[in-house]
Amino acid sequence: MNKEKSSFRYRAAKDWKRNRSLYLLVLPVLIFYIMFHYKPMYGAIIAFKDYTPRLGVNGSPWVGLENFNRFFKSIYFVRLIKNTILLSLYNLIFGFPAPIILALLLNEVRSKKFKSVAQTITYLPHFISLIVVTGMLTNFAMTSGLFNDIIVMLGGSRSALLQNPKLYRTIYVASSVWQEIGWSSIIYLSALAGVDSQLYEAAQIDGAGKWKQLLNVTMPAIAPTIIIMLILKIGGLMNMGYEKTILLYNPATYDTADIISSYVYRVGLLEQDWSYSTAIGLFNSVINFGLLIFANRLSKRYSETSLW
Amino acid sequence: MKRSKKLVSLMLAAATASMALAGCGSKTADTTATTAGGGAATEAQTEAGTKEAAAEFSYPMASGDKLTYWCELTSTVAANYANLGDTPFAKEWAKDTGVDVEYQHPPVGQTKQQFGLIMADGNLPDMMEYSWTADYPGGPEKAIKDGVIISLNDVFQKYCPNILKYLEENPDIDKMIKTDEGHYYVFPFIRGDEKLCNTIGLMLREDWLKELNMDVPTTIDEWHDVLTAFKEKKGATAPYTFEYTNPQYLDSNPFLFAFNSSRGFYLGDDGKAHFGAVEEGYKQYLTTMAQWYKEGLIDPDLASMGSDQVAAKMTNGQSGASMGQAGSRMGTWISAAVKTTPEYMLKAAPSPSLEKGARPEFGWIELPFSGRASVAITTSCKDVERAARLLDFAYGEAGHMMFNFGVEGESYTMENGYPTYTDLIMKNPDGLPVSQSMAAWFRGCYNGPLVQDVRYLEQYYTMDSQKETPEVWGAHNGKKHIMLPVTPTSDESKEFSTIMNEINTYRDEMTLKFIFGTESLDNFDTYVTNIKNMNLEEALDIENAALDRYNSR
Repeated sequence: MNKEKSSFRYRAAKDWKRNRSLYLLVLPVLIFYIMFHYKPMYGAIIAFKDYTPRLGVNGSPWVGLENFNRFFKSIYFVRLIKNTILLSLYNLIFGFPAPIILALLLNEVRSKKFKSVAQTITYLPHFISLIVVTGMLTNFAMTSGLFNDIIVMLGGSRSALLQNPKLYRTIYVASSVWQEIGWSSIIYLSALAGVDSQLYEAAQIDGAGKWKQLLNVTMPAIAPTIIIMLILKIGGLMNMGYEKTILLYNPATYDTADIISSYVYRVGLLEQDWSYSTAIGLFNSVINFGLLIFANRLSKRYSETSLW
Repeated sequence: MKRSKKLVSLMLAAATASMALAGCGSKTADTTATTAGGGAATEAQTEAGTKEAAAEFSYPMASGDKLTYWCELTSTVAANYANLGDTPFAKEWAKDTGVDVEYQHPPVGQTKQQFGLIMADGNLPDMMEYSWTADYPGGPEKAIKDGVIISLNDVFQKYCPNILKYLEENPDIDKMIKTDEGHYYVFPFIRGDEKLCNTIGLMLREDWLKELNMDVPTTIDEWHDVLTAFKEKKGATAPYTFEYTNPQYLDSNPFLFAFNSSRGFYLGDDGKAHFGAVEEGYKQYLTTMAQWYKEGLIDPDLASMGSDQVAAKMTNGQSGASMGQAGSRMGTWISAAVKTTPEYMLKAAPSPSLEKGARPEFGWIELPFSGRASVAITTSCKDVERAARLLDFAYGEAGHMMFNFGVEGESYTMENGYPTYTDLIMKNPDGLPVSQSMAAWFRGCYNGPLVQDVRYLEQYYTMDSQKETPEVWGAHNGKKHIMLPVTPTSDESKEFSTIMNEINTYRDEMTLKFIFGTESLDNFDTYVTNIKNMNLEEALDIENAALDRYNSR
């Protein structure tokens, strides 16, 4: 009798009775993930097949690792990996701290009006369509464009900025930071709002200045948020979308601009080579998965926060 | 507390994992349930075929099921109509043939992606207008084998007297629109006159030439002088510019043709396929361009030039020479620029040569059948006869007029046996540009399953400088060298596209580096070796084998 009580079935049934409404609450979310994220994973099998739509996922012939081999053997393999890693690393290094700093700065602003105006201005670019942003960038970067006007004002000379492979990453990352800084700072601002003001008072009484308060009260308070965001970011590190790249690059900048996803777009989607693009996508996801676990381990070791 | 924290962490983990996998997931979704519906259509086809002999037939047909028709909506139509079915053209076509059609369009600029999705989904429209020859992976024969489209040989015999007659009269076209195995697969878009194939070429500021007392340049050296004069005397900051981001213009680049080369495959004097971008001519071309670039004769922003930027530079005096179509480029630029610069005029320049007076051996000319905008009947089509008769209409006499000129008495009138567009088209009362009013009434002004009539072009070109373009731009022997529409076998096609993808990427990249001077032309030999190491020979073998099969069709 006792044994039965501790069995999983029994406990599950009991839990179900007790928390029925909670289970119902989580059900739609579960269904969403199963339908749109777990079920499609089954389609990843075509990475090992020579997929033809009319034959279907099951009917297409099995080719094993051929698609992967093709990618590894490609003369662009090393360059694609390098460009993807570097670009996303720069994006992380510059793009990750920027919204935190902005949030900390905004948090110190006393004038409510100024704060809300600044907030609105910084997060507005997030709502501009990518195609408009890249269109502006392309025009600004031309020899007769705004960026060159500024360079000339500062004593430089005109050049086509987007044709220079050395400048590509700077333009790409800087524009990403500009576009997302305000939007990404919202989550930190809300974390900051949750910090107990009594802590600040106590710190003040202990003689801590603004800087000490920041280091010893604010930072520890929002650290869990920062770490979770960082882990999520690292998990998606290799997930560079192709949209911005294909809108900004040209053959002259392939050297630094061509990344895995833009290559998949050119070779896989435009040529309708689904198996090949899925193989590359899967390869990318496996790396991402590894990165995620790695980041989580690291965070577990050096702080108390981790995803699992 | 601890428990809820764990739950949150778990959900976050799930979200991240699925985010990481979404990259491959989203592409592979909706791939199931594709095999159904293949067999039924072919049965219907043979059954219907026995009922009626081709000769007794007359339009319009008795009413029946609505057919679905998938095609790109060209920009000149999209400017005024959300669906091709709303245009007077589509209404007239339905009236004349008695066939109701529901049109489906991919989003602008996403034809290929949308096509891929439809293939993956398996729910095919009855008719699909697409470039089946080049853009179906594995080629048209594979499309038939995959059970996507049907072979049209029987269909032509049974229901399509018009197109049969046309093909009988034009055996070279007949050869082009077949697969190597002898299957017809589309109702083709055919340019009915050589003038219609010479629509892209060089042009430059006539008013500047006059002012500088210079002639229209015909050789590379003369071009150098003219561009230098534009730069020094007219203050052009980008004397020569063109839409480098548009592959169409890279394929038709007259300056490259001047060196008897091309960036892709061309037909040599020996009747075999050659790859231009590794040959001596290509090096000479690069050397010249690098020189011009250094001297500031070529647009410094070349690599990122799109149509808007080129239009701006050509109309505001930053540039004096460019290339493009006589209609959508030359005509548009002239009418835009004369508003601010009344003396503004562009003049067509011939495909340049190296020696004065020599007729260039290479030059841009389109094939009468390029494979674009041609309509196949899919295996999902239940009433093949209806679809076939609908499409065959355009190749008959009445259909030809309707597809090229619209409705007599409304969009055109016969004057001395010449179909002349009315003011509805040429001076549209609603203020539509000619290209848009034309596109509303007929398809001959862009493309589609029809034989294009040169009399459309004669009226579409309204300015003198446009009218002379077919002659000027056609003055070369390029016809001998243009690659025929060959198709690799489905086995070879994957290997071929893998090889060519790598080579083309490398070529495009290095070409710009050579021109910009970031890579010295001393390294041209290394570049050639690299391309050869990417298995160019194999690709050439495949191409030549395809060419042999084409010749023996």
